[in-house]
Amino acid sequence: MLTFIIRRLLVTIPMLLVISFLVYLGLELTPGDAVSHMIDPEAASRMTEEQFDQLREALGLNKSFIERYGIWLMSVLQGDFGHSLSGGVAISTIVLDRLPATLELSVFALVFSTVFGCILGTMSALRRGSVTDSSLTVFGMIGVSIPEFFFGLVSILIFALHFNWLPVGGRLLPSYDSYFDHLPNIILPGLVLSFMMTAGVMRYSRSAMLDSLSREFIRTARSKGLPDWRINMIHGFRVALTPVVVLIGFRLPTLIGGSVIIEEVFQWPGIGSEFIEAVRGADYPLVMSIALLSVFAVLMASLIVDVLTALIDPRVRLS
Amino acid sequence: MTNAALNRKFDKIRAREEAGLNKPQSGSRALRKLMGNPLAVAGLVIFLIILLASIFAPLLTPHDPLKIDLRAMLQPPSAEHWFGTDRTGRDVFARILYGGRVSILVGLGSALIAAAIGVGIGAYTGYRGGWLDMIAMRISEIFMSFPQIILVLLMVSIVGQSLVNLMVIFVLTGWGGMYRMARARMLSLREEEYVQALQSFGVPTVKICYKHILPNALGPIMVNITLTTAMFILAEAGLSFLGLGVPLSIPTWGNILNVAKDLRVLENNWWMWLPVGTVISLFVLSVNFIGDGLRDSTDPTLQG
Amino acid sequence: MTTDLALSVKDLKTFFYTNKRCNKAVNGVSFEIKKGKTLGVVGESGSGKSVTASSIMQLLPRLSRIEEGSITYRAERGDIRIDQLDRDGAEIRSIRGEEIAMIFQDPMTALNPVYTVGYQIEEALKYHTDLDAAGRRARVVELLTDMGIPLPDKRADEFPHQFSGGMRQRAMIAMAMSCNPKILIADEPTTALDVTIQAQIFNLMNKLKEDHGTAIMLITHDMGVIAELADDVAVMYMGNIVEAGTVDEVLRKPRHPYTRALLESIPVLGRGRDQDIKSIRGATPDAYDRPKGCQFAPRCDFATDACNQMPEEEFITDTHRTMCHNWRELADHV
Repeated sequence: MLTFIIRRLLVTIPMLLVISFLVYLGLELTPGDAVSHMIDPEAASRMTEEQFDQLREALGLNKSFIERYGIWLMSVLQGDFGHSLSGGVAISTIVLDRLPATLELSVFALVFSTVFGCILGTMSALRRGSVTDSSLTVFGMIGVSIPEFFFGLVSILIFALHFNWLPVGGRLLPSYDSYFDHLPNIILPGLVLSFMMTAGVMRYSRSAMLDSLSREFIRTARSKGLPDWRINMIHGFRVALTPVVVLIGFRLPTLIGGSVIIEEVFQWPGIGSEFIEAVRGADYPLVMSIALLSVFAVLMASLIVDVLTALIDPRVRLS
Repeated sequence: MTNAALNRKFDKIRAREEAGLNKPQSGSRALRKLMGNPLAVAGLVIFLIILLASIFAPLLTPHDPLKIDLRAMLQPPSAEHWFGTDRTGRDVFARILYGGRVSILVGLGSALIAAAIGVGIGAYTGYRGGWLDMIAMRISEIFMSFPQIILVLLMVSIVGQSLVNLMVIFVLTGWGGMYRMARARMLSLREEEYVQALQSFGVPTVKICYKHILPNALGPIMVNITLTTAMFILAEAGLSFLGLGVPLSIPTWGNILNVAKDLRVLENNWWMWLPVGTVISLFVLSVNFIGDGLRDSTDPTLQG
Repeated sequence: MTTDLALSVKDLKTFFYTNKRCNKAVNGVSFEIKKGKTLGVVGESGSGKSVTASSIMQLLPRLSRIEEGSITYRAERGDIRIDQLDRDGAEIRSIRGEEIAMIFQDPMTALNPVYTVGYQIEEALKYHTDLDAAGRRARVVELLTDMGIPLPDKRADEFPHQFSGGMRQRAMIAMAMSCNPKILIADEPTTALDVTIQAQIFNLMNKLKEDHGTAIMLITHDMGVIAELADDVAVMYMGNIVEAGTVDEVLRKPRHPYTRALLESIPVLGRGRDQDIKSIRGATPDAYDRPKGCQFAPRCDFATDACNQMPEEEFITDTHRTMCHNWRELADHV
């Protein structure tokens, strides 16, 4: 198992390096001079060309591209991503500040969609051809067809504005005392984010189950006279689990990306909405840093999913 | 299906068989199966309705989608304005129809181009293998490590917003999926015996790859195109909703929805955003139905 | 004679319903499996032999059913009409594995890849015996040893893909024999294995017959296997048994053109290079577009006008029967 993890890491690390290089290259291509963005505009107008040059020298901006990349990479590895162009706050501070909010939503959506998706998908497969199956299938199709933000808007209209059951948006309001006060705020954005993902998991698990149940070893299990639940669950579902986990792993980037729009719709103060602000404000260092971090998150999540797959499927472990 | 229902179905089939009514069916099995699938047919109908309505927009509405008429602001649906008007008096129905042109162009167009590139590369490198294949794989992996929205927004922030830019960006972010799928199919198909036969006859590589093997992979390719189209339409809608997709001066379905960010519009002016969202959902749903139907009909292992 | 019977099948018809068509895969088949004896069922792909086996265990796929006929299992407690049992019911489930067991053609796909071999063998024991965990484990090791698998204690905790092809099939046989079934159905057990391994598996099966008195139904397309292992043989073609009898009768004195053609198409080791091997002319008809009357007539050298009518079963001796109008002409030729 350890060798498996190490081998995967050896593949992932070069990938991250290449991407970090491309990201830094992208940063180079964006308009603007790093210096002029780092200084208070008032002070900048009073500086002479010489003082600008001195500043550039001091900040190492006159070194070659490769050198600057190396320096940037070093500081990134230590957690220093530089500063945001709007307000000059350290990017790492911004990210750490807004990370809990995004994690809340993402973890909620991941757990909810995995559990519910598998349950509904398995139910659908076992009752193949029935009314339950047909309606769940159509429901699933609708789920992946409605734009997430539209679904979010409609649910805000119905549940927040019309019925007033849930808050309209935001996360931590001044009136909240304890951590748990804001749980109702998670419900709407969390469920909306889960909606599409659940529909997806439901479809995968249904087809994975149907595929697994059509295999020869199911026939063997039946020929042993085992009860139906055992054949379906312990043999059928257990083997279907591998492709489902793999497919969920493929969908993780979509989950991380999906939270971007949902955070915007629900005014949820996470990294996603920060990213959109940064794009709007042409805050390139922040845009690049968040993009790089999201890639890191995706690759790490893929690694975890791969390890999970190896744990549940002995064929992967031994290859 | 219950046992009793299955038994009745079997009895019917047996009776027909013994009466000699069941002939071997001629024609394309795939096409027959597709037409026999009610959801796929419904999807096809809805898709065509929306597509044709967008193309023939001038015939369906006398209004100009860009014309501002401040005297007719925020009007609910009426005989004159079927879907009402928006904040600057523009006719919403006309905007939806004309907006459809752009949204469908971006969605379907980008998907087709991404498919052409992805399949073209995937089929060739998958067939040849070697370092060419490895490089292409690494490149596609790099693109696919980014969450799509983040990659798109990243590129938008660098190159700016425009219709063409958006399509180029979509193609760049979407070719990877088609590439992977085409490559996977190619890897399994190239081991078939007829390929070895063709090679031993000295048929040139390009010809084997594109003329002989590729047509066998058409089924999954078409299914993938529909899925990619659905994905792009949703992506364009989302980006334009955020104001970061197609520039707001050009009406697209997502741009029209942009107004709903204002909670007052959300609550009070339902006609400005609810119909558009429904149209998007219906269109994507129809594309998904078609894709599912294609998958069922071109998969030879599915029993029916 | 009846006390020697393990299973009787009479006029069995099993139809498949896919793509809105009706395929009469088994169209009126009768035979008997005797205790302690091996019945070989031989025929080409599509002849209906595997479907017959699935029917006996009520293991048919969803889109098929037993139309007519009877399958009678002669248990100690009385005769049980398997064809009348509910496909998913408790009674057939208690019979499966415990009294009638089956081994399949490809042991790689027939075993679940995510569970150890020992676990899969134990499952049958769990549901059909009263052994506790330690007892089951001991029995698993015992079975693996009996089947000639070295290091059985270690092997029981390994996964199917860690076994070689021959060992996997032995493990399957171990699993099938775990509850000492009265009847063992072997569906092409060696088709996926090397010839050398084949011999080992056959020795194993003979041993089972001798040690436990198990009745074996052996399905194969290989006449050579029949000659080696079977006591009785039934030749199937397009859903019917065209000839049946003891191995001696059928192989030495075939009384059906198809049987004869099959025998003539096998090269014999030792006869040299210029053997007269005749392939059977024509091709197997499409199941959905069958000839009228005798299914073999279009390919038969002895066909006459009478063959437009489906022949009845005729008995040549007490045990030897054939379904051919012109078997006497054939007898003169051979």
